[in-house]
Amino acid sequence: MKSRRRSILSMLDDTVRWTGMPARVAAQMSNDPDRKHRPLRWTPIWPIASSSALFILCLFWPPALDHASPGAVVSVGTVFWCCILGALPALHVNGPLGKSSLEDDEREAALRKDSFLFCLGLLAVLNGLGQPILMILSHWQDWKIAQTASVLTTAFTLNATLLGCLPTLYASWNLEQLPRE
Amino acid sequence: MSRRQLAEAVGVNNQTIGYLERGDYKPSLELALKIARHFGVAVEMLFSLERFEPIAMTLKRTGEDK
Repeated sequence: MKSRRRSILSMLDDTVRWTGMPARVAAQMSNDPDRKHRPLRWTPIWPIASSSALFILCLFWPPALDHASPGAVVSVGTVFWCCILGALPALHVNGPLGKSSLEDDEREAALRKDSFLFCLGLLAVLNGLGQPILMILSHWQDWKIAQTASVLTTAFTLNATLLGCLPTLYASWNLEQLPRE
Repeated sequence: MSRRQLAEAVGVNNQTIGYLERGDYKPSLELALKIARHFGVAVEMLFSLERFEPIAMTLKRTGEDK
């Protein structure tokens, strides 16, 4: 009975280990800065993709949205905005630029500078091109107040998402994985 | 000497030493001089505009010369 109980417990331990959670928790709690701030090559793409999708949806404004209740639209928008606001700091802190810039050495400072320059440059180009296009579209398609407000809100969300995710994405793709010593 | 020991000696992150070893990062003059001083050699012994010969080739050539 005793050996059977032990084997059940050890099987449960194996099951927990199989999920990978103990290793993940150990990595999260480790004080090693290299493990804490690892490259995030794919995760930042999700918020950018979802913000872009929402912006494009508001831009094309399918007729179904004219019949949607304003309360439902505002609720969905608020939930989405809260999710993005929660995800952006988490992504930044866990990414390669997450630690304080005061602790950077010269390579990390150069990487941080390049990442933010790339991000701010891309945002400047996108906004510089996008604003006249939005003005022309709003006039040409005769946008109503609801669509104008939605496009403005989602454009702001997209800007915030790009500002939060692009530096992490740029830095992650510029960091090669080093072999262990 | 490990990456971590050298990194602590010259005041950078140990990943930076890893990228230097692989040739993926060009150090500042200050960092290059610090590393050279740490090993007690001239900076040209560690960094060069041309690629260094693989150490196996150097050892082979030295053996043949002897």
